[in-house]
Amino acid sequence: MVRRRWIPAAAAACAAALALAGCGSSGGSAGGGGTASGPVKLEFWGWAPGYQQSVALWNKSHPDIQVSFEKVPSGAKGGYTKMLTAAQAGNAPCLAEVGYETLPSFAAAGALQDVTQYLSADQGQFAGWTWNQVTIQGKTYGVPVDVAPMGLLYNKTLFAKYGVTTPPATWADYAADAAKIHQADPSVSIGYLGNDAYNYAGLDWQASAPWFGTASDAWQVSVDSATGQKVAAYWQGLVAQHLLSTDQSYSATLYKDMAAGKILSDVNAVWDAPILASSDTGQSGQWAVAPMPVWNASSPAYGNDGGSSTAVLKGCQYPQQAAQFADWMSTDPQSVTNLINVTGIYPAATSGLTNSALSAPDKFFGDQTIYDVFKAEMPEINTSWLWGPTMTQTATDLGNDLGDVETGSQTLTGMLSDVQTKTVSELKSQGMSVSGS
Amino acid sequence: MTTQTPALAAGRPAPATARPPSAARATRRRIRRTALCFLAPFAVLFIGVYVAPIVYTVDQSLYKLHHSGLGLSAPTKTFTAFGNYVDAFHDSAFRASLLRVLLIGVVQVPVMLGLALLLALLLDAKSTLLKRFFRFAYFLPYALPGVIGALMWSYLVAPGLSPITSLAHDLGWSLNLTSNGMLAPTIGNMLTWGWTGYNMLIIYSALQAIPAELSEAATVDGCSAWRIAWHIKVPMVRPALVLTTVFSIIGTAQLYNEPATLQAVAPNLGSTYTPIFAAYDSVANNDFPYAATESVILAVLAFVLSFGFLRLVQRRGVAR
Repeated sequence: MVRRRWIPAAAAACAAALALAGCGSSGGSAGGGGTASGPVKLEFWGWAPGYQQSVALWNKSHPDIQVSFEKVPSGAKGGYTKMLTAAQAGNAPCLAEVGYETLPSFAAAGALQDVTQYLSADQGQFAGWTWNQVTIQGKTYGVPVDVAPMGLLYNKTLFAKYGVTTPPATWADYAADAAKIHQADPSVSIGYLGNDAYNYAGLDWQASAPWFGTASDAWQVSVDSATGQKVAAYWQGLVAQHLLSTDQSYSATLYKDMAAGKILSDVNAVWDAPILASSDTGQSGQWAVAPMPVWNASSPAYGNDGGSSTAVLKGCQYPQQAAQFADWMSTDPQSVTNLINVTGIYPAATSGLTNSALSAPDKFFGDQTIYDVFKAEMPEINTSWLWGPTMTQTATDLGNDLGDVETGSQTLTGMLSDVQTKTVSELKSQGMSVSGS
Repeated sequence: MTTQTPALAAGRPAPATARPPSAARATRRRIRRTALCFLAPFAVLFIGVYVAPIVYTVDQSLYKLHHSGLGLSAPTKTFTAFGNYVDAFHDSAFRASLLRVLLIGVVQVPVMLGLALLLALLLDAKSTLLKRFFRFAYFLPYALPGVIGALMWSYLVAPGLSPITSLAHDLGWSLNLTSNGMLAPTIGNMLTWGWTGYNMLIIYSALQAIPAELSEAATVDGCSAWRIAWHIKVPMVRPALVLTTVFSIIGTAQLYNEPATLQAVAPNLGSTYTPIFAAYDSVANNDFPYAATESVILAVLAFVLSFGFLRLVQRRGVAR
């Protein structure tokens, strides 16, 4: 607690001052010890499990460029704030794990380093649309690591217990199954709405209800679009009938309810599979992965929730080496195998798609080869999605409103107009041009 | 400095025990140098870690970041004088956060201090048994790191995990301790749990300093224990009560840990729940000048409130 402890607070302030002084001097010495004597040293901030091991692989094979990985809180939990603050102070690390959704915000903060010249030759190694996610106004700021197709992660055993033998293929089926399960036992829900803004974005992504667009040097904000309203109305209907649990995304309560058989599925991205497997160990073997339910079975389209890059931050003294590492981490077969096995990524590099780790059976999901499901979805994922420059604000507002939806003091349809208004006013207050409003 | 010394010396009558002027000057110079040596560590730290950050923060708050077009490159910083302060005044989320904290403080601080005073008086009473045990037990929550206490309470109030709500549910009462209306009472409860013991200890040590003769004299005069407490002890621990109130006002203004921890189980606890949340949110949006503005406003309000309270009780003390 910050209150009332004068002496500890003063001591902490002194310690912080000393630590800051220490940071400055160590940064200086690291900068000095470059090519002249010893290896180039690069710092890398990220949070995903498995990155550390890829860095260790690199360090073993590249004695001239040594990368030190520092684990920071995940982006939304303060990691991005830490990076932006460091960039502001001029002591940011060379490399950082930055989600596609946050890259435009970083660009708007002037926190990224243009590394186009070092990476233009590598573009062909990646799925074209992922390269677009790391390239803003013709400048490339990093290397794509993964994409995040969404699926229906469901408890097959318990679905069968409540009479659902085939997973829902469409959202209409999902609603019908939700009602069926609820009728069998009102304390059990097919799923939960959660309060993760980017998970919700994945639902709009699937429905081709884009949030941002650009036209003649101005932003178009369309969070509150007609298609977006259709998606919101569908989920609001499920919430209103109490067919969904009100648990928070990634909360202890959520996993407790899943383990207790009260929540039977999760509409989530590929990288959620290992998280679920480690949070609900008691139900290992009971779960399975099905394609994300679609709106129209005859022309299916799927959503994407996440995907991130290894970005080069402003002030990096060795941008070329940093870019070289970033490219290696996303393309080297050993590194990609590690990232698939430990991090649970779906690789953005085209060479990664033939990686044998993708065809390994997953014990938690009843020895299913879960990547086959996501691989089949890939061609049907909208690749024109564009993120705005105020996503931190937009995602916070949306997350707050989702929290209010769970307590009944907001509706999903109301949420969209609220977020639309707030996003437009935030863009305008920063002086950016917004068209059509 | 040194050039002024002869002029000053000339202006004054010569000291009675006349020493050679050059020796006196040397002594004085040495004293001054010693004083500077002793003052330097304080001055450097005071200016470096206290004055400089405040000046820097105020300076930051006078600028605004500005983009143009799509704004996908570094913003420009322009001087706006009090533009950010005007914005903050119109920022309904920030105003609501200030009001929320004020409301929590107005209810929670008197409850907590009343409880602390009562417990301190009970501990001080002659007839109380197991004094050492109770003193330790009341103080224990404060000895726990604040975040640990907050985490513990989060699990005690989390919907689906809370034994309190499940008990209430069994009794046919649907209770949700993290609903919008219950958030402030829940946080108030966490604060009271964590800080009553600390305040009690301050008041208790003030009670210990009251001479025993006063109580004895009152007892001889036929005063009951309650009247001794109310008419003798409470007025005599007034300074301790004032001190704990000021600390509590400042502490409530800085409310962060409890709601931040509670947020993990209460999605409806928004990102601008308290003023510090709001400032942190601005930093997350890379708007450092606005975060500085919010910090300055919060600091000024906390200063005005705590010193306003001090002035108020001092004036009343004089009037009495």
